[in-house]
Amino acid sequence: MAVTYDLVKAVTAQLYDASLRKIPEDTKQALARAGLTERSDTARKTIRVMLESAAAAERQHHFVCSDAGVPVYFVQVGTRVQFEGDFKRAIVDGFADLVRTIQPPLLQHVTNPLTLERGYHGKDMPIVTFDLLDGADYVDITCSPKALGSGRWAALEIFSFPTLDVIEKYILDVVLRAGSQHCPPVVVGVGIGGTFDYAAKIAKEAVLRPFGQRHPEPIVAGMEERLLRAVNATGFGPMGTGGDTTAMAVHINYASGHGFTPVAVCFNCWINRRARARIFNSGEVVYSE
Amino acid sequence: MSTTHHLRTPLSEPDVRSLAVGDFVYLKGEITLCAGLPTHERLISHLDSGAALPIDLNGAVLLHFGGYNSESDGTFDVRYMNPTTSTRFNPYMPRLIRSLGLRVVGGKGGLDAASAQAMKEQGCVYLSFPGGACTLYTNAIREVVTVAWQDFIFHYRLVKLRVEDLGPGTVAIDAHGNSVYDSLQSQAESRMPQILADLAASRNERAR
Repeated sequence: MAVTYDLVKAVTAQLYDASLRKIPEDTKQALARAGLTERSDTARKTIRVMLESAAAAERQHHFVCSDAGVPVYFVQVGTRVQFEGDFKRAIVDGFADLVRTIQPPLLQHVTNPLTLERGYHGKDMPIVTFDLLDGADYVDITCSPKALGSGRWAALEIFSFPTLDVIEKYILDVVLRAGSQHCPPVVVGVGIGGTFDYAAKIAKEAVLRPFGQRHPEPIVAGMEERLLRAVNATGFGPMGTGGDTTAMAVHINYASGHGFTPVAVCFNCWINRRARARIFNSGEVVYSE
Repeated sequence: MSTTHHLRTPLSEPDVRSLAVGDFVYLKGEITLCAGLPTHERLISHLDSGAALPIDLNGAVLLHFGGYNSESDGTFDVRYMNPTTSTRFNPYMPRLIRSLGLRVVGGKGGLDAASAQAMKEQGCVYLSFPGGACTLYTNAIREVVTVAWQDFIFHYRLVKLRVEDLGPGTVAIDAHGNSVYDSLQSQAESRMPQILADLAASRNERAR
């Protein structure tokens, strides 16, 4: 038995399709809770529209947002996985199939950064990050399409032996710069330490973490709690038109590094697109959200 | 409490001046979708040269919405539409608002102070439409009147629609120079010393 080209192609395309039509359950619940506690009339109404929109998209099997972004995948490969066929090719072909068949059709968002020409295909697209899972007999795939709306506000800065107050202030600076722009309430993902590339990677993994899973280390869990309060004290609110809920969660990952400490901050907008599945050697596919 | 308005296009200056920041608006009638930098650049170049625009935008509702459109045997269709980030178009909007006498502009994320000034002079409001309400907005389309500039990719075309109950859009910049974006940014900046002090107190609490 093996993880086959056909299966990878079908599952990666399906994950992208699903992420466009349904917001995660934990996100719906977080929005509903925010709708109950918001003090501003505008914020409550805005959240109500968001929940109505999510329900309508599901009911009509339509898109939540017209901007399908670009396909981005995080793949963790179990070391006991047997492959049959080309894995990377399967993801490229799966996206090409989706572009041909999806209804309604996608817009041309894949952009050549040098010429600004836009289409459905381009260099290094889909964007795939690989990692290994020791001992596992499955491939774990998360699809997280990314668009300009929240994507453009991510930032990274490198500090030298920063104390926690420096790190926390920087995170708030990035939040302040994004202001009303990134379709709040957002999920804030933070990566601290490692190297330039690694901090960005773990920040993105943090943004994709399901709600309610606090970081296991108390020092990080404490930061997550107080930074969530701090971000929400800014008052930008739902869609940035004012309110108590600018973020639904702040998730932080860290890695040890040298004395130079990168701090990466990224955002997922309120529709919090993420879809995940595991493909087992047996051919079984388990969709977890 | 904010007030909810059901407005029919074309809108008069008094219609627009009566709206206040925080009000909710549903639109009925004709609107034009305009997204993408090339679209804005071409609008400006037409204004510069005096060339006629393919859609009459005088006194119009011009929204930063991107969408998927198609044409088959002369019949236009729009499969979906949704707001896009308006701040990208800051350099173009004051000119468009003034020259075309726009009554409503909208999208998401707002516009800058120069646009707010043009809106105040002209009698124009900015409506914030929640991003990610694609299905609701698409359900409001009654007719696709025309799709112009088809040499552009789908979401850069100029699209005129007839809609019913499109909304809600939140009045985020009114016709009197009030901008929720400017006030929230100032408010957040003024709150920052207290926010940082609270963070420090929380860190110290945990350290004990």
